[in-house]
Amino acid sequence: MDCSYFRSRINRYVDGELGYLETAELQSHLSFCPDCAEELAQMSEVRGAMATWGRTELAPPPGFAERVAAAAALEPKPGEATLGRVVNDVLDALDETLGRIPLPGGRTIPVKNVLGYGLAATAVLIQVERYLRRTRELKPL
Amino acid sequence: MTPSNLKWATLPDPTSAELARAAAGDVDAFKTIVERYQGMVYSVAYNVLGNHTDAEDAAQEAFLRCYRKLPQYRSEATFSTWLFRLALTASVDYQRRERRRPEPVEVPDVAAGEQAELGDGITAATLTAALGDLPHDYRVPTVLRDIYGLPYQEIADLTARPLGTVKVMVHRGRASLRLRLQAEREA
Repeated sequence: MDCSYFRSRINRYVDGELGYLETAELQSHLSFCPDCAEELAQMSEVRGAMATWGRTELAPPPGFAERVAAAAALEPKPGEATLGRVVNDVLDALDETLGRIPLPGGRTIPVKNVLGYGLAATAVLIQVERYLRRTRELKPL
Repeated sequence: MTPSNLKWATLPDPTSAELARAAAGDVDAFKTIVERYQGMVYSVAYNVLGNHTDAEDAAQEAFLRCYRKLPQYRSEATFSTWLFRLALTASVDYQRRERRRPEPVEVPDVAAGEQAELGDGITAATLTAALGDLPHDYRVPTVLRDIYGLPYQEIADLTARPLGTVKVMVHRGRASLRLRLQAEREA
């Protein structure tokens, strides 16, 4: 039996992504292949250790809360409307309403990034158009 | 994802009066919130970034985002879940912005009473060293998936990478960690 066929499925198995038949096929292979069973056991141990580590709380450096509070004191008050915040809130609201735009290859992009790129491209086009118009105006007859 | 399996998820949420005071710009009230949740936010930042200097910067950024967005917090999600997401986003954004290798691995001090043994002969020191040796491209999605249990699609959105690429990175990250930790145990 070709173990590489099953090893490529062990990750999907631990992620719960295998269908019923694929799971049964893998489990059957694991019952008589000690190498693949060992690989699955080791992967489960590592994932278990990582989950345990995730529950471990690390101590921040001394004075951290004071430094954060000092930085917050320099900020405008949370509810205060500044231009940057209004623009961000509008873009965040658009993001929440419209979600993300799918791109080829499974990638997605936030709507606000698309708007940002669009505005940047428009600004560049306006500058190019101005430059071309100016060049035409200066051209000697 | 909700961090329901995590210790900090059991912390009581700040009261609405505390939140209202902080949202009105009362820095002392905000500092009380920071003191309560700093361990959670710092841990998330450390696990994503792998070194203390960057973790402190990213954790501070997460709290400042929290401060700015406090008026938008709605109690449909628990406060710890909301802040947990802000911490994750701030850390991943920081990593994408900085794109630098972690400093030589530092094993963090864990809060008093925590055991360094994580099970099956794996210690906190060996795990953090192995995570620190992973390239960032593998480390971040692997941490998000196997430490925090995020769905692959959410990791793809957070890291702005295609879903298939994220899965490959996690699979490779797991394989590297498994081989590294196996070698440590055999040594």
